[in-house]
Amino acid sequence: MSWRKDEDERFDADDGDEELDENDYKTQKDAVLFAIDVSKSMLKPPQPTGDKKADKDSALTAALKCAYQIMQQRIIAQPRDMMGVLLFGTQKSKFRDDSGNGTGYPHCYLLSDLDIPGAEDVKKLRELVEDDEDEDEILVPSKEPVVMSNMLFCANQVFTTNAANFGSRRLFIVTDNDDPHAGDKQAKSSAAVRAKDLYDLGVIIELFPISREDKKFDLSKFYDDIIYRDPAAEVGESGGPKTSKSGDGLTLLNSLISNINSKQTPKRSYFSNLPFELAPGLTISIKGYIPLNRQTPSRACYVYEGEEQAQVVQSETAQVDFAARTVEKSELRKGYKFGGEHICFKPEELTELKQMGKKTLRIIGFKKRSKIPSWASVKKSIFIFPSEEQYVGSTRVFSALWQKLLKDDKVGIAWFVARENAHPVMVAIFPSGNPDDEEANTPFLPAGLWLYPLPFADDVRSTDHVSAPARPADDLTDQMRLVIQNLQLPKAMYDPRKYPNPALQWHYKILQAKALEEETPETKDMPDLTLPKFKQIDKRVGGYLAEWKQMLAKKARNLQEDRAVKREFEDDDDERPAKRLKTTQKAANAGPANSNADLKKAFEQGTLSKMTVAELKDIMASKGISTAGRKADLVERLEEWIESNL
Amino acid sequence: MADKEATVYVIDLGESMADCHNGRDESDLDFAMRYVWDKISTTVAASRKTWNVGVVGLNTDKTYNNENEKGLAGYEHISVIQELGSMTMTSLRALQPKIKPSRTSSADAISAIVVAMGMIQVFTKKLKYKRKIILVTNGEAGIDDLQSEDVAAMLNEVGIELVVIGVDFDDAEYGFKEEDKSQQKRDNEKILKTLVDQCENGVFGTMAQAVEELAIPRIKQVRPFKAYDGPLTLGDPAKYESALSIHVERYFKTKRATPPSASNVTTFNGPTQTQGRDEDNDTPMSGVEFQPVKQLRTYRVDDAKAAGGKKDIDSDDLAKGYKYGRTLVPFSESEEAMVKYETVKSFTIIGFVPMSSYEPFVNMGETGLIVAQKLNEEAELGLSALIHALHELESYAVARYVNKDNSQPQILLLKPNPAIEDDVECLYDVPLPFAEDVRSYQFPPLDKVLTITGNVLTEHRLLPNDNLQQAMSDYVDAMDLTDFGQDEDGNAAEYAPIDDNYNPVIHHMNQAIRNRAVNPDAALPPVADILTRFTHPPEALVAKAKSEINGLIEASEVKKVPPRVQGRRGRKETVKPLSGLDIDALLGESRPRTKKTPISTENAIPEFKQILETAEDDDTIENAAKQMGDIIRKLISDSFADVLYPRAAENLRVLREGLINMEVPNLYNKFLTELKGSLLSGELNGDRREMWFRWVVGGRLGLITPDESEVSAVSDVEAKAFLK
Repeated sequence: MSWRKDEDERFDADDGDEELDENDYKTQKDAVLFAIDVSKSMLKPPQPTGDKKADKDSALTAALKCAYQIMQQRIIAQPRDMMGVLLFGTQKSKFRDDSGNGTGYPHCYLLSDLDIPGAEDVKKLRELVEDDEDEDEILVPSKEPVVMSNMLFCANQVFTTNAANFGSRRLFIVTDNDDPHAGDKQAKSSAAVRAKDLYDLGVIIELFPISREDKKFDLSKFYDDIIYRDPAAEVGESGGPKTSKSGDGLTLLNSLISNINSKQTPKRSYFSNLPFELAPGLTISIKGYIPLNRQTPSRACYVYEGEEQAQVVQSETAQVDFAARTVEKSELRKGYKFGGEHICFKPEELTELKQMGKKTLRIIGFKKRSKIPSWASVKKSIFIFPSEEQYVGSTRVFSALWQKLLKDDKVGIAWFVARENAHPVMVAIFPSGNPDDEEANTPFLPAGLWLYPLPFADDVRSTDHVSAPARPADDLTDQMRLVIQNLQLPKAMYDPRKYPNPALQWHYKILQAKALEEETPETKDMPDLTLPKFKQIDKRVGGYLAEWKQMLAKKARNLQEDRAVKREFEDDDDERPAKRLKTTQKAANAGPANSNADLKKAFEQGTLSKMTVAELKDIMASKGISTAGRKADLVERLEEWIESNL
Repeated sequence: MADKEATVYVIDLGESMADCHNGRDESDLDFAMRYVWDKISTTVAASRKTWNVGVVGLNTDKTYNNENEKGLAGYEHISVIQELGSMTMTSLRALQPKIKPSRTSSADAISAIVVAMGMIQVFTKKLKYKRKIILVTNGEAGIDDLQSEDVAAMLNEVGIELVVIGVDFDDAEYGFKEEDKSQQKRDNEKILKTLVDQCENGVFGTMAQAVEELAIPRIKQVRPFKAYDGPLTLGDPAKYESALSIHVERYFKTKRATPPSASNVTTFNGPTQTQGRDEDNDTPMSGVEFQPVKQLRTYRVDDAKAAGGKKDIDSDDLAKGYKYGRTLVPFSESEEAMVKYETVKSFTIIGFVPMSSYEPFVNMGETGLIVAQKLNEEAELGLSALIHALHELESYAVARYVNKDNSQPQILLLKPNPAIEDDVECLYDVPLPFAEDVRSYQFPPLDKVLTITGNVLTEHRLLPNDNLQQAMSDYVDAMDLTDFGQDEDGNAAEYAPIDDNYNPVIHHMNQAIRNRAVNPDAALPPVADILTRFTHPPEALVAKAKSEINGLIEASEVKKVPPRVQGRRGRKETVKPLSGLDIDALLGESRPRTKKTPISTENAIPEFKQILETAEDDDTIENAAKQMGDIIRKLISDSFADVLYPRAAENLRVLREGLINMEVPNLYNKFLTELKGSLLSGELNGDRREMWFRWVVGGRLGLITPDESEVSAVSDVEAKAFLK
């Protein structure tokens, strides 16, 4: 599944769209193992405050809930990545199949082995957090303290066996104990050695400390010996873990989720070490990322339910010729259809044809931001960030450019080839401001530069077919302004985080229910946050709208009458130069036939079939209806359209 | 655009067309045919059966045309070379040898136009067609203009466009004048020009311009597609009387054009096929050299009992399913509809945002264009008011869009265009992301440096100093393109506007395919200049901004990192945890190593790395490498099917990397050579070929070449051959 499939997809990608580039990017798989501390203090419920909104979760419950939520999230967003949950400090021990207490890792309980999460894993976690049932008494702290070096080696083994070749492997430790081996120097040293093993193995430890009752979590007591700087981290990235706690209107759970979420998504680059030719003779290096990517529901696969368990069916394709003989790869050519035949190129010629220069990002100049037309959009943008790996000084030059573009509202115009053989594209380089700024437009996106693909002339559709002449603003406009002013979105911005994709949520809700053999949810069970708040709209601007509608009806009537008079006048007016006459006649002919009222009339009188095929096609094309087929089909299709639209 | 077309090319094949003029080293005919072949091959490429092409030869040695057969005078030496019909590769090939200069020059060009007109009339009857006659000539043969008025009248009546392109014809507008023109030619030019002027639909031009314009990419026009036709609402009209509803239509404003797509074909090597037909356009495939291939799908599942561990499944036994994580969830056909979110076709405004709050880079794709329903006064006025109000308030609307029942909702940003950008009053829309589409990646700030201890620095080597900031500012201002270009009248205009920027891949591909069709043996054409003019900053601007560019380079002080410094043994920076604890010393104490201490299989990678970090002699390295090798072999031989392959591959990768760092690549190369033998011979407890092909070859774990480590004794070629 891993390598071969990607390779196949990449093969296809070569003759299609460069969009599939992202496959490179998916092969960097991610594995996250949650290690959650089970101890008396972790289990202790918060002090009751009487406030209904106050925290009710113990630290352990919050940690488990968080793992549960993140597991579901990862199933949707990272369907190929692994996750596991290891509890430590438990009375019981469990590692893989050996259930008794005779494991090599006492007081470590591997709740979910590291794997792509499945329904059972979700169920297991949910039983622990939602039903508050713990029949197996898993969440019972041990009497003696857990040996941290054991826990770390246990994690080591989980990664070594289950995610041996993953590009990104991380151990998330959630604990409220900043000094598990107080006074035991030997135990501390062993833990440090095991931590170095993990580092050498390529596993990154992320600590999520929990502090309670205003006791500071002191990293220097133990964890500073365990944690290394992430070698892949950007230069200048601040390293220290963020402490989660309840308070400031935030529950412990929310605080923990926000901290873990910020680290949860593996930071995958779309390309690295791309030369950025900022000016002739000045090159720096950059990495590219795709922080905005359309998430779609998983695709259906074929299943064989023959024996015992349902299995995924692997499909293989072979290329055969007309005589059903399998064609070897060496005999295959890429043919371009041309006048009923195939025009072929040798493989090396094809490579040459697609080669449009080396991979690069090359600035050709700068423009005022306002020069980029507001319709000039074709594709999602790519985020770039400097890297010092190839050119020392890249970061400061990049920063200077970023600050200049922000300050003067300018954009760079650049030629961009993401990798060898990728299709080139012109991009506008936009800066994004600091997300932490009070007035940030994009608090959900990092600060840096964005490659905004500009359409080619080929990508722009003609607008000749629409006629919507400019009109002056009038009192209808003034009234509409009142409506707009009173219906601003919260914080006067569109924040995508507030709008989950209902189709995606629904898809996985149904899948989850079926996978867990639960009752099928109903549509009303799921809030659709993309629906407008109709009641509020009526309350806030209902009055303005009602008035506006009256004004509109009156104006529309006037305009209609004006037009009728004008048409009559034009029909009477014969005395025009010949050439003008021809065009006006045409327009007059086209007018009534196109007008919806006339169409409806023709439909009611059953005279549509009296039109010629050419006339029908003209009308239908103007309405965007398919013009394929015989006349009878055309008439039928047009009738259907009239019935449903007029 | 899918209209039917009937085009007749009238090509002057007179003997003077064989001569070269005006310093060209190709004959007038070859020069003219550059234009004609390009036009005809474009028609072939379109593969449209409704685009018909006919060819008439002017000044042919023989005579073959209807008018002459009917006994009319003045139609000698005019031949119909190709009757009107759809254009295929076959007809193109048949046509090519017939285009050659004759030994005559006595035919009348206007008569040839009449012949062409006759062909069109017979062929198109009274049906709807785009009719066109294209005459190419050098105008050296005599023309009788007595009837030209009648001919023009007839052309107008039938509705035929007449295009006359002359070799070396004078064209003041284009700026071409042939000084040493013969009187004959001068007269002919006048006659033809008059004829064209009398046509309602006529073009008269010189060949040089036509050939030059061939290089300008032609953009494929696409029939407008209506993506939505229905109400745009504010509020819920079903529930609230106040709710507003405007009937709108939505079209595409941008849509990514794609390069021509290729299909798999194979060289024809079977028996001659008589009724082979191309599936897509049903054109007969005569004289094919390449045969399309079909895909044959087979379905298999893992089955330990079956031979080869896999069992073939009949496609009838397949059910559908989805994956929830690793859990497979089968869905019956009746259940499958459940996973789709039920929606109703609608387009409704959620709220409004100020323009200043929107950053273009958050949009997710192509732009739409929204106008009021045609001839619907209420919609026209209503939408117009919305557009103007948004424009005046500098606001955008955010709307939820469902283009038809049960399709997925989208969030669109609606931008007002009161006939400023396009000459229509409309709303543009761009798709916005949902919550799930945002990946939260963390990056350090660009304008300050945070230290581990939480300090904020504003002066640092990673931050630009004032000098660099100023140099950057000067450079950006100097390289401004806003007024650097020129419009048609030579006035300052924006440089590289979207209209001038053609997709190089699409047009270069098309060009190459057309060339290959007309001339199968020719080499690939070079990329046309017009396609690459925006790949570099304009030279004139670079020259002008020379001092700013140099200033920036100086202030930047960017240095290229030299190719990896070959580091050996402990020269690498020692790694320490955050506390700075001397972990190596601790390791030395707690894990004392002698040469005899074996590397454990479970913790092989860390232990191997730790040995290399402190290794002081070659023996230690060699010994460690040998142990690693043994572990890898054991993992493979212990592996049930492919279970342990990833782990073995990872160990191999670490071994490879370690030995490169230690500059002992030959140790690895020797080991891998042995391993390959063992894997392919089945020595390691069964068929281990998959380990070799998928993990070693596929994982790029082949022999180490001098590229990676200078001291390697294996050449690049050898390394490549080794993987085959």
